[in-house]
Amino acid sequence: MARLSLVRDSLQTHSSGNGWSTLRMRRQSYQRLLVIKSYINFFYFWEKRWFFVAMALGVFMLSQPVPEGLSPEGMIVLTMSVVATVLFVTEPIPLPTVALLIIVGQVLLLSIPSTIVARSLMTDSVLFIMGSLMLAVAVVKQKLDKRIAWMIVRVTGTQTSRICFGISVVSGLLASFIGEHTVAAMMLPVGITLITLTSDDPKEVRNLAAVLLFSISYGCSVAGIGTPSGGARNAIMIGYWKEFFYDPSSPETYKYLVDYLKWMAYAYPMFLLQLPIVTVILLFTFKPEYSNLSRAVAKLRMQVQMEGPMKPGDWLSIVFFILILWGWVFMSSDIGMGTVAILGAACFLIAGLVRWEDVNSGVNWGVVLLYAAAISLGVQMKNTGAAEWIAENFLAILTPLGADEGLGLWAAISTLTTVVTNMMSNGAAVAVLGPIVLKVASVAGESPIVIGFITAISSAFAYLTVVGTPACTIVYASGYLKTTDFLKVGWRMAIASIIIMLIAASLYWPILESIF
Amino acid sequence: MIFRHDPEIDPEIEKISEWRRNRFRVLVCIDGSDEAYEGIRYAAELAENDETDIILLYVRPIDQGLRSGGLQVRVVRQNMLDWGLELPGIQYLKRGLEMLIDPESLAEDWTIHSDHADSWGDPLGDNKIEYQNEDGKSIVLKLKTAPEPASGILDQYELGPYNLIIMGAPSHWRAEWNSFWGAGVVQKVAAMSPCSILIARQLPEGESTKKGHLICTDGSAHSMESMCQDAVLAQICGHPITLFCTAHAHSTKDEAENILLEAKGMLAEMGVKVQNTIVRVGNPVSTIVETGRDFDIISVSDSGKNRLKRILVGSTSFSVMGAAETSVLNVH
Repeated sequence: MARLSLVRDSLQTHSSGNGWSTLRMRRQSYQRLLVIKSYINFFYFWEKRWFFVAMALGVFMLSQPVPEGLSPEGMIVLTMSVVATVLFVTEPIPLPTVALLIIVGQVLLLSIPSTIVARSLMTDSVLFIMGSLMLAVAVVKQKLDKRIAWMIVRVTGTQTSRICFGISVVSGLLASFIGEHTVAAMMLPVGITLITLTSDDPKEVRNLAAVLLFSISYGCSVAGIGTPSGGARNAIMIGYWKEFFYDPSSPETYKYLVDYLKWMAYAYPMFLLQLPIVTVILLFTFKPEYSNLSRAVAKLRMQVQMEGPMKPGDWLSIVFFILILWGWVFMSSDIGMGTVAILGAACFLIAGLVRWEDVNSGVNWGVVLLYAAAISLGVQMKNTGAAEWIAENFLAILTPLGADEGLGLWAAISTLTTVVTNMMSNGAAVAVLGPIVLKVASVAGESPIVIGFITAISSAFAYLTVVGTPACTIVYASGYLKTTDFLKVGWRMAIASIIIMLIAASLYWPILESIF
Repeated sequence: MIFRHDPEIDPEIEKISEWRRNRFRVLVCIDGSDEAYEGIRYAAELAENDETDIILLYVRPIDQGLRSGGLQVRVVRQNMLDWGLELPGIQYLKRGLEMLIDPESLAEDWTIHSDHADSWGDPLGDNKIEYQNEDGKSIVLKLKTAPEPASGILDQYELGPYNLIIMGAPSHWRAEWNSFWGAGVVQKVAAMSPCSILIARQLPEGESTKKGHLICTDGSAHSMESMCQDAVLAQICGHPITLFCTAHAHSTKDEAENILLEAKGMLAEMGVKVQNTIVRVGNPVSTIVETGRDFDIISVSDSGKNRLKRILVGSTSFSVMGAAETSVLNVH
C-alpha cells in the first residue's frame, strides 16, 4: 500500500503542472499505468487464464460466419459445447459453475424460456445419478466391507495372485450393480489393511500395494459398464437413445428403449471376460514382493471376529440391496431407474440405516447439477442440428481414411472416446460425445445402439490417468500409488479392453441385434 | 467472539511475530515422495541449531467430487479411519517427525500443543500439532486443506513468515514458456515464493560422499549477498563450501577469478572458510549443472525476474533448478 500512495502523490504533484510536453504526458500515462497495475491482481488472471481463453474462443466462434449446413442456433450450441469442454478439461473455475453457465447461456443466447430450460434439467437419468449417489453413501456406511473381505479370503486362500483375482471378481460383481465409486470406497480399506498387515514399510510392499489396489480400481472400472446402474454414463446413454430415436407412434423405434436386461445382455459378458485379464496384466506388470499373505490374512480374521455376528441392521441393508437390484432389473422399464434408486435411498433413510447428514455431506450435489446441465446441452445439440453437422464433418474426415463404416468407424469412435475420457470424468465425456456419435451412426447408416454402446463402454477405458474414472481417483487417495503407475499398467489395460470390445461388437452384438 | 484484531489480542500477535522474526523458520513441504524425505533430512541438519524451527506441511486438496463420480472422497477417508488406518498425510508427517526428533526423547523433552480449524467447508480442515522443547525450539506438523497444493503452501507462507521453503524435486520441470499449459506444484511455488527455496533431490545410490555446497555468484551485489546467506547456512550444517563463477569467454576469465577472490575475502571477514574456488568458461546453466553434479547442494541467487522476463530473457537460477541433478537452493 505504501507504494500505491506514493504513486498517487506523485500523480497529484504532476497533474497541476503548467505547459505541455510529450515527456510529461508519457510520464503521466506511465504513472497511471502503475496505479492501475497496483489495483489489479494479475495473479488472479494468470490462475484463471483458461477461463478467459475459453470465453475468448467463444466470442471468436460466435463472430465467425455460420458455416454452411449449420443453423445460427446450432452455431451457438456448438460454441457453448466447445467452451464447456475447454472448461471441463482445464478446470479454471469450480465445475458446477460450468453447469450454471450452460443454463444461463441457453436462456440468454438461445432465447429459450427459462421454464423450458429448467424442465430439461431433470430427467430420469439425472434422478438416477442423484439416487445412486445417495445409495452409495448409504451402502458404504453399512460397514459390510470387513465381512466381504473375509468372505473373499476364505474362498481364495492366502496366495497373493488368488486374493487379487478374488478382490477383482467381488469388487467387479458388486460395482456392476451399485456403481464403481461405492465399491472402491468400500474395498479400499480392505486393500490397505492387507498391505499394512504384511509390512509397515511402504517401500517393501510397493508392488504388492499396486497389484492389490489396482485389482480394486480396475475391477470396479471394467464392471461399471456391466449394467445400466453401474455408472452415470450408462444412464445418460440410455436417456439419449430414448430422446434421439424413440417415437411412441412408430413401433419400429421401440428397440431404442434399452431396458436393464437388454443392456446386461450386451455388456455383461464383456465385463466377465475382462476380469481374468485384469489380474494377469497386473501380476505381469508389477510382480508383487510377497506370493503369500498368510500373516495379513490371519490378522484380518481376528479383526472380523471382533465385529461379532451379523446384526439385524446388516441383514436389513442386504435385503434392501437385493430389493433395489430386483427393482432395477424388473421394474425400471415401467417406473424408471431413477425412481428405483431414490426409493432405495428413501428406504435406507426411513430404516435409520444412514443419517441424512451423512448423505448430505457425502454426495457432491454439484455433480448432479453438472450432469443435468450437460445432458440438457446435449439435447439442444440434437434439436438445433449442431450434432448432425459435426457428425457429417467428422465422417467426411474419416472417409479418406476408410474409417467411415464398420470396424474402422467403431475403432475411430472408441479411440476418440478413450482420449476424451482420459481428460475429463467419464460421465461428462459421454454427455458431451453422446449426441455427436449417435448422429454419426444415423448419418453413416450404422446401428445407433452399437455405436452408443461403443461410446459408453469406451468411456470406462480411462485407465491412464488418476482422474479418468472415480475408482482410480478414490484408490489414488490412499497415497500408495504414483501417477506413473497408472501409465505403466494403463496402456496395456486400454489395448486389451479395446480389442475385447471390438470383438464383441463384430461377433456378439450382431447376434443380439437379430434377437431384440 | 474474539477477532484477530481485537486490541487484547494484538499485543499477543505482536509478541509471536517478534519471537518468530528472531528464529530461522524452515517450511518443509512433503508429499510422501523420496525427494521430499531428502528435504526433511536436510532440515534435520539445520534443526540441530537451537535457533531453527521446522514446520512440516502436507497440503490436501479439497474434494472436487466430480472426479470421484460425485461421491466425496471424505466418505472414503472416514471409512479408512473407521478401519483404524491412517490417512496418507498423517502417515507422511509422522515419518517426517521421526526423522527430526528421536522418538525416545519425544515424550520427555517436548511439550505438545494441538490446534484445529475448519477451512474451505471441509470438516477435516487444518490441523496442527506443535512440539516445543525447553529452549523454545519448535517442530510443527501441519495438515492443511486448500483448493490445490501450491496455493496451500503459499497461504502457509503468509501465516509465517518463513526464511526457507524446502520441497522435493518434481519428476519433470516444464520450460517457462510451456508453463501456460499448467506448471507443477514445485515450479509454481518456486516462481511465487517470497523467500529462499530449496529443491531437494535424492542422491543416486552409493554416492554419499559429496563435496558440500557449490555457491554460484556472478559478482553482482545481489548475488554476493545471497552467497553470504548460503555460506552461513552451509557453516551451520558443517558442509564444506566451494565458490563458483562462470566466465562467458576466455578473455573474461580473469574477471571471474577476481570476483571469486573478492567473494572469498568477504566470507573470510565473516569468519567463513572457503574450501575451494572454481572458474569455468561457457554457458552459465550448463557449467553450473555439470560442476554441481559432485556436490550436495548447488546454491544460486534469484535474480527476481518476473514471468515475462523469464520467458524472454531466461533466468539462470530457474533453469538450474530444473536441470540440476542434485539439490538446488535458490536464495531470494
